[in-house]
Amino acid sequence: MARSTIIIAENSCIIRKGLRSILQNLENSEIIQLIDNKDEVCKLVNKNKPDILIVNPNMLPTDCPDLKRKFVNGNKLSLVLLSDKKNLKDKLKADGYINYLDGQNTILDLMQKILSKKNQNSIPDKNSEIISSREKNILKHITLGLTNKEIADQLFISIHTVVTHRKNITQKLGIKSVSGLTVYAILHNIISMDEVK
Amino acid sequence: MRIKKDMKLADVIQLNYMLIPVIHRFGIDLGFGDKTVSDVCEENKVDLNFFLQLVNAYHDKDYFPKEELQTIPVKNIVDYLKMTHSSYLNEKILEIEQKIISLQSEDTEDQRYILLIRNFFEGYKSELTEHIMHEENVVFPYVLAVEEIIKTQSFSEKNRELFNAFSIEKYEEGHDDVEEKLMDLKTIMIKYLTPPANSTLYHTIIQDLFKLEEDLNYHSRIEDKVLTPKVILMEKSIKNLL
Repeated sequence: MARSTIIIAENSCIIRKGLRSILQNLENSEIIQLIDNKDEVCKLVNKNKPDILIVNPNMLPTDCPDLKRKFVNGNKLSLVLLSDKKNLKDKLKADGYINYLDGQNTILDLMQKILSKKNQNSIPDKNSEIISSREKNILKHITLGLTNKEIADQLFISIHTVVTHRKNITQKLGIKSVSGLTVYAILHNIISMDEVK
Repeated sequence: MRIKKDMKLADVIQLNYMLIPVIHRFGIDLGFGDKTVSDVCEENKVDLNFFLQLVNAYHDKDYFPKEELQTIPVKNIVDYLKMTHSSYLNEKILEIEQKIISLQSEDTEDQRYILLIRNFFEGYKSELTEHIMHEENVVFPYVLAVEEIIKTQSFSEKNRELFNAFSIEKYEEGHDDVEEKLMDLKTIMIKYLTPPANSTLYHTIIQDLFKLEEDLNYHSRIEDKVLTPKVILMEKSIKNLL
């Protein structure tokens, strides 16, 4: 399962860093950025595209159409408010709400719930980490040094499909480089050592 | 915790042992007793300000020198980075390589797999070497030229040529890719290989890879947080000069 990315935007440094240290106990997630400046929220969220934005409502920009549209659609980005005013949650259509007084377990439970909901929504269950026979075939072609275009032509599929397969293979195996994939393929008898140059 | 000049250097090392190779690159040897950071720097003729910037950037991910940045000569940073490079190529990488070779020379049935690891590591090594050479032959001469232009407030012909041929933006772009292979190697050794009979050696290699990766991350933090922002500032003021 891919790790979910989180951004925390909060102007109090005590709360920002405190929350980060609490969330380090959360599985399958990673805090990619802390934002302390209101003016940067919009830019950084759009640039880094986190799965979850935890934000103090005071930090929400009023003049950033892009960010807002994402909030309304809601699917891509989950919004968690960090505040002492609960009624804001519905008003801003947020997915969750953390009060300054919440204990560690309450916060972790809430985040866990949001994470598991997100993972259900995403591609229906990439259950096993084992690659399918189709993917094996693609993997074989990759390790033989073929480009995406060549693979697409040989297998009569679109380049887009090849790219998607490639992404899934990398995600399942945790290996990114072609030479790494080659070692995997040899170890699992997908290709023989002699076939590789 | 911020590292300050009147702290004992021994306490600093206790705080973060990853700083051992860093101070070594400055020519500082262990065994400094109760001397403070500023004492030791003075004795070894190390610029105190630069030393503090550097160990703090190493030590604290969130640390970001701002005003202090202006005062450090680029040349110092480049010299330091070059020392780091040579310690990777001439020490760390060789050590790991040696260990893989001795794994290979053991009498096992897994020879074939060890060979795979070895070839993979060789691939990584040449990629890293290439990356380092690029920095030393293109990036560093460029930043040194930038500094000289600022200092003299004028362009020598050679410097103008260097300045026009490159920009630090180009450098920022392709900077993260080298670590990919290293991570893959760790993943393969952890997830997909059955360790050979000498599992102690095998484990040591994995731990070495982790340490190398950590050290490389620290190293790129200096490049990204100390060198690059400084050069960006200097580029801007040169454009005003033009």
